[in-house]
Amino acid sequence: MDVSQYLEIFLDETNEHLQNLNTQILSLEQEPGNMDTINEIFRAAHSLKGMAGTMGYKRMQNLTHDMENVFSEVRNGNITVKANMIDVLFQCLDALEEYTTNIRENADEGTNDNEPLIKQLNDILNGGSSDEAGESPAQQEEAPAEAKAPAGNGSKKWLDIKLGDSEKSVFKEAVSQGKKVYGMTVKVQESCILKAARAFLVFKAIEETSEILVSSPSAQDIEDEKFDLDFSLIVISEAPLEQVIAAAKNVSEIEDVTGDVLDPDHIPSADDSDAEGAQEDEPVKEKPGKAPAVQAAPAASAAPAKSGKTKADEKKPAAGKPVVNRTVRVDIEKLDTLMNLVSELIIAKNSLVSASAASGNSSTAVNEQIEYLESVTTSLHESVMKVRMVPIESTVSKFPRMVRDLQKTLGKKMELHMSGEETELDRTVVDEIGDPLMHLLRNSADHGLESAEVRKERGKPEVGSIFLDAYQDGNNVVIEVRDDGNGIDTQAVREKAIEKGIVTPEQAENMSEKDSIDLLFHAGFSTAKTVSDVSGRGVGLDVVKSKIEALSGEVEVKSKLGEGSAWIIRLPLTLAIIQALMVDIGNEKYAISLGSIQTIEDISPADVKLVQAKEVIQLRDIVIPLIRLNEILDVESKKDPHENLVVVVVKKGDKQAGLVVDELIGQQEIVIKSLGKYISKCKIISGATVLGDGEVALILDANTLI
Amino acid sequence: MMDEELKVVGETTQFIVIKLGDEQYGIDIKYIDNIVRMQHITRVPKVDAYLKGVINLRGEVIPVMSIRIKMGLEPDVETKSSRIIILKLEQQGTIGVIVDEVKEVVTLENDQIEKIAYDSKEDKNSFLCGIGKCDGGLISLLDLNSVVLESV
Repeated sequence: MDVSQYLEIFLDETNEHLQNLNTQILSLEQEPGNMDTINEIFRAAHSLKGMAGTMGYKRMQNLTHDMENVFSEVRNGNITVKANMIDVLFQCLDALEEYTTNIRENADEGTNDNEPLIKQLNDILNGGSSDEAGESPAQQEEAPAEAKAPAGNGSKKWLDIKLGDSEKSVFKEAVSQGKKVYGMTVKVQESCILKAARAFLVFKAIEETSEILVSSPSAQDIEDEKFDLDFSLIVISEAPLEQVIAAAKNVSEIEDVTGDVLDPDHIPSADDSDAEGAQEDEPVKEKPGKAPAVQAAPAASAAPAKSGKTKADEKKPAAGKPVVNRTVRVDIEKLDTLMNLVSELIIAKNSLVSASAASGNSSTAVNEQIEYLESVTTSLHESVMKVRMVPIESTVSKFPRMVRDLQKTLGKKMELHMSGEETELDRTVVDEIGDPLMHLLRNSADHGLESAEVRKERGKPEVGSIFLDAYQDGNNVVIEVRDDGNGIDTQAVREKAIEKGIVTPEQAENMSEKDSIDLLFHAGFSTAKTVSDVSGRGVGLDVVKSKIEALSGEVEVKSKLGEGSAWIIRLPLTLAIIQALMVDIGNEKYAISLGSIQTIEDISPADVKLVQAKEVIQLRDIVIPLIRLNEILDVESKKDPHENLVVVVVKKGDKQAGLVVDELIGQQEIVIKSLGKYISKCKIISGATVLGDGEVALILDANTLI
Repeated sequence: MMDEELKVVGETTQFIVIKLGDEQYGIDIKYIDNIVRMQHITRVPKVDAYLKGVINLRGEVIPVMSIRIKMGLEPDVETKSSRIIILKLEQQGTIGVIVDEVKEVVTLENDQIEKIAYDSKEDKNSFLCGIGKCDGGLISLLDLNSVVLESV
């Protein structure tokens, strides 16, 4: 079976489900009795199983199947959640992740059967199933309800579905509540490869508006692709029939959907069905080898309304169902292309502006249109940017799990507190930021936090806290990793650096606190006395720094010995197009990102004071160092030194500096182009942009100037 | 075996002949992406002197270097015939080099090319990968990788 065209979708969705499972199991560990969480876990495991099954990944399917069994028992209240069970479940997730990685790399799930895990799962299952005997008949009851549809009744095959007692009561109750009950038959196209997957989608589509009471063949059989080209359903819905049918028809590769309203007085019943039907049911009920729960579980999830037991719950999901966002999955490359086109458009617009200005005799009509064009391109750019923005949640949500694992491996007690997961960043940045953050968290856990005993001695709470906060600050997004641990022992850092030969003892002598901390980012540096599994291999902080710098971001460290340290990562919101202030220095044009500009000041040369032989100005009681850009950029200023200075005040975090320029040209939307790695030596230039007249202007990185 | 040998004998390479001062140099045509007229080069501060700056080539920002400065010749004098040759190299990406003049395209058979042994004592030699003999004249064939290589 050729499933390659679905592989990408499969991998994407699998990752989502795994992520979801990780999060949910974690919260399950916190509150083992939460039914919502258990249901969510169950659903995710079930979808995973279905997807793995349709893609033909048997090992993955087996593992998820057994996991699902465990969840199903938990859901039914037969097993209580225990710590060791959570551990096993996490191991299962790791195993699943391994399968996914294998599939991603070579389209094959690998040969690891993970038998020990499956055995552990079964042990959990068996441990809990002793008291399950009393309930199993009730669960079995559903099985006979699903008679195989014999031929006849033409396309109205739903008429052949026989209802059991529990279904009938649900049916009647629904009717009494004024809901409609429809019989439907869905026909799948002959050419359809993944019938089960399509059927699953139909189920999902129908469940948006309705509840599926019964299906024929059973949900389990449909899932295992044990049906021909059609299957029938009885659904309860408040929506009109047409809408339900349309929803089902919307699924691709569905040939036809027929349906009709069922008369509550003529419910096809299992009781009055003929002997033949009853006999046919028998084997289903007696199906050996499978625990009853196994059968009940998948069926129940596909058609939650079916089981009489869940009747009380069934209205809840229907009423409280969140509004499903209508989304489209788009390849990031397509977005990149779109972004490039928008960039080209903005360059073209800028050319138009300067051409119109150059011609001199531009009419108001032209100017108006250009202004309109400008506002359109700006909103277009904003929209495209927004499309590319994703919450960092997708990356940070794996960290609680990681910290939990670290706690075990390191034998320290710690808690991760996260905030601002909804902060949005460009997709490419979000993808890249995961590793650096992970390094920092591990670093905090391993080097930062003290052991419980030491913490007690120092009068700190035994459980260490690690904070991960994200928030937007102007044109930047700030991500902070903090801990209330030991902080950075700069003395130890310096000694280590001398020992490693990174600095000489004399150099170390004169080092400021900040310089010492910066040593941590030196390649090959690690202060951990022993190399542990978690950190201390000397890779890490330097990698963190270079990675963040590659994203045009920066890291700042604040630390207080004995109280903890904070690693502050600052990332630009957008990588491609920014609002910038164009300035003239000498005869050259430079752009300064508007995001870093605080104010623009007109300063008389007399107000420039000297502090430690460096020029400063005093602005609203704050002393700001002056940076003469013409000196830094090696150009001759064309301004008379007695004239007033034009000072652009820029900020970086809480630091400020005044950049002296010759003249201001104006604000402009610029497209950032890389200078390429060939000219990467120049740190103060963060890129270049093409101006309206076709000339190239360089973008000054104010951050490196401060 | 026979075929291969024949091929080696008959193989030809095309070079673009450029002038730097009075000397003729050849650049292998397979590296050349484009030849553009001299245009305004935006200076980039704090870089090596041979890096003249960047230009805008159809919306892309391309670094431009001076072969003259890199090889220790007199600095470029912009004339009407000055050109920027845009090279596409595997490692360094797209780079422009300034030349005094672009003359012609020549096709050299392999036996017209004399490999020169690398002489570590004479630095200038390392920018060349051979000498081509064509119509009585000599063309120094540039080893682009060492020309473009960042000086340490």
